[in-house]
Amino acid sequence: MGLQRVQVVVDLPLFGAFTYLSHFPVSPGQRVAVPFGNRQLCGVVVTGIPPEGLPDSQLKQVEQVFDSLPPLSADFLALAEFAAAYYHFPLGQTLFTALPTGLREARDITPPDERPYGLTDAGLAAMPAARQRARLALWQALGDGPLSQQQARQITPQAGKILADWLAEGLVQRLEPEIQPLELGPSPQLNADQQAALDALSREPAGFQAWLLHGITGSGKTEVYLQRIAFCLAQRQQVLVLVPEINLTPQLIERFLQRFPASRIAVQHSQLAEGERLRNWLDAWQGRADIIIGTRLSVFTPMPRLGMIVVDEEHDGSFKQQDGLRYHARDLAIWRARRAGIPIVLGSATPSLESVANVEAGRYRQLKLNQRAHGAARLPTVRLVDTRRAKLVEGLSDPVIKALAARLERQEMSLVFINRRGFAPVLACTDCGWTSGCPRCSTRLVLHLLERKLRCHHCGWEENVPHACPECGAPDIKPLGEGTQRLESALGRLFPTARILRIDRDTTQRKQAWDEIYRKVHAGEVDMLVGTQMLAKGHDFGTLSLVTVLNADGGLYSADYRASERLFAQLTQVAGRAGRADAPGEVLVQTQWPEHPLYQALVAHDFDGFAASLLQERRQAAFPPAVYQALLRADAPELASASAFLTHVRQQVQVLAAEVLISGPAPALMVRLANRERAQLVLESANRQALHRFLDQLPPLLDAQARQHGRGLRWSLDIDPQEM
Amino acid sequence: MQNRLVLTATVEREEALRYTPAGIPVVEMWIRHQSRQTAGGFERDVACEIQAVLIGEDARKHAGKLAGNAVTFTGFLSQRSLKNPRLVLNIEYVEFVKG
Repeated sequence: MGLQRVQVVVDLPLFGAFTYLSHFPVSPGQRVAVPFGNRQLCGVVVTGIPPEGLPDSQLKQVEQVFDSLPPLSADFLALAEFAAAYYHFPLGQTLFTALPTGLREARDITPPDERPYGLTDAGLAAMPAARQRARLALWQALGDGPLSQQQARQITPQAGKILADWLAEGLVQRLEPEIQPLELGPSPQLNADQQAALDALSREPAGFQAWLLHGITGSGKTEVYLQRIAFCLAQRQQVLVLVPEINLTPQLIERFLQRFPASRIAVQHSQLAEGERLRNWLDAWQGRADIIIGTRLSVFTPMPRLGMIVVDEEHDGSFKQQDGLRYHARDLAIWRARRAGIPIVLGSATPSLESVANVEAGRYRQLKLNQRAHGAARLPTVRLVDTRRAKLVEGLSDPVIKALAARLERQEMSLVFINRRGFAPVLACTDCGWTSGCPRCSTRLVLHLLERKLRCHHCGWEENVPHACPECGAPDIKPLGEGTQRLESALGRLFPTARILRIDRDTTQRKQAWDEIYRKVHAGEVDMLVGTQMLAKGHDFGTLSLVTVLNADGGLYSADYRASERLFAQLTQVAGRAGRADAPGEVLVQTQWPEHPLYQALVAHDFDGFAASLLQERRQAAFPPAVYQALLRADAPELASASAFLTHVRQQVQVLAAEVLISGPAPALMVRLANRERAQLVLESANRQALHRFLDQLPPLLDAQARQHGRGLRWSLDIDPQEM
Repeated sequence: MQNRLVLTATVEREEALRYTPAGIPVVEMWIRHQSRQTAGGFERDVACEIQAVLIGEDARKHAGKLAGNAVTFTGFLSQRSLKNPRLVLNIEYVEFVKG
């Protein structure tokens, strides 16, 4: 067999594939070991024609082919190729981002053989002697029906050895696993809106269609997914369910397990142990898993029988990765559904403006759920509390304190929402004006009083609380503003009998934290929840009857044009926690801007009106989704070198920028982060193709320019950026 | 630079003991002084009220026991904050006046 030339990509920040010689037959998608420099790396063979003109003598050879697994599927490679091209990121790094860690290393992976064992005719005739007790027990059990390796081990710990012997002697054989018939756990009756949505999904002929399931909070979107998933499973299809990081709770998994007790449900998220992640990934790839539930990275999971994709809370920011391959899982999921020719359902109470615009343009079809799923439950009454002249006690206004007292009296649970963890957002000296700045970022250190620490929520810097002002020496330095810790202790003083539970990133880090929170909440052991935006996500806290929102005004006049969209979504979601069961809900929002259209829309529960006015604004100002945007970010130890780099780039590429508007360089909203100073160019166009044709030409040019600006300079491209 | 004030005064109002974020105890109080003093050959009645603050171990020791008592305070003056020029007596020594 002659030498074959193959194109291989590796996990390095290098665009393009490398040509190797192979003694072994390989095909695209195969993992191989290749020499690279003086190292051996794991590579993936990709499609593509090797460049001509290179003599064999200059090429290195593939050292090993990892062929215990079949080559990665064409669908998987196509998705990675699309992501690499669209996000202008090296194909090698994109592919390795999409693979579980276990497959990124240069070693062969043998998938566990999970086929059950059954006795052959010869085995049936070969009853072990009575004194071979373990063998006899296993033989008898096998006589009753096939056993998995795991089941066999429960009969005798020596099962592995015995079965291997018997397999070699031809006494047992591996059987193809039986396909379990679909079983359905109890399903609640759908209300009219849910039924109409499900009917619309069912009526649609097979093929690609993007659906926006826009249902108010508590309208039972999940139930619509579940009933549609049941249909897919009955057709022997696989289903991919993408959820925001924070929503991937044991409760959600439990709900799927109860509904589909005989189906194999596999989870994918970055916190999963490496072995489990790999096993679940292989189960999905080899068609053993029926449902994959996971966070953004699961969008890459290969699924040969994929029949539908669900993206729950599609507006959620966690679907966009903020470093490395800066992909948006929702957008890749749409692409994937189109390629696979299957439906995709995007669900939200507060859809992203991108999706609203896609509905307007006729690209997505909209399904509306306008009633709450529980018969008696209604949307809560939202009231604004004007704090301009009100006297606040520890950040709490009189109406809020009275409302909390009334709920405590009636033994109903309330929620106090403040989007700041820690005790206070800044520590300050009133004598000289010193404030606790982060030494590495252009931001303030947050006071965490319980831990007696000052912490940077951006770079992770931590220091002890100083005994006195570092500038003037005055000891009586004071926390300014409120965070969750401060509110927790203030509520404790105001309501000494209340059982208060704080929920923020600091209290939910332990693995079992959410289980404990749910247990307490549902056992009625909590009177007041105090927490951050974590509470705004899809949790059902049952009998919550009051939600109070403090200090939300920051999002009204932010320099980031997406801030008001996010604030409205967040407040709608957090308000939606109220009155989900049978107690009517009330929402009190403290604000200095009660006349603001955002709050007026919130009071009126008018998502559609507010979204329409925001879209109108975006069109007038030529912001996304009216235009397509990319950010070229640069960071360096000094802002000047980042800006100089971008200025040079701009001068160089200006001539290429047909139909593309380049603005900047401008300092990033947060200039300094972890000792690096950051600037950016905004690249935008009303024509997506024109923007991408332009971006295609950038990476080589950027690499060359960056080298001239010294080692300390880094750049990155962010396509469809979510944060400015 | 000299900055020293010795003042015998009655503690009119004593705030609850609190702690700085670093855990240092603080007691703030309002004190009222009344006496007869002489200046330029004229003897007259004087009275003044000033905010005072006690920081550190003494704050913990005396917290809750100051209100209503006549005390001789030794300390220095500072303004209340960057924005508020009102004077505050920063107490160094506390001496209860017997009687």
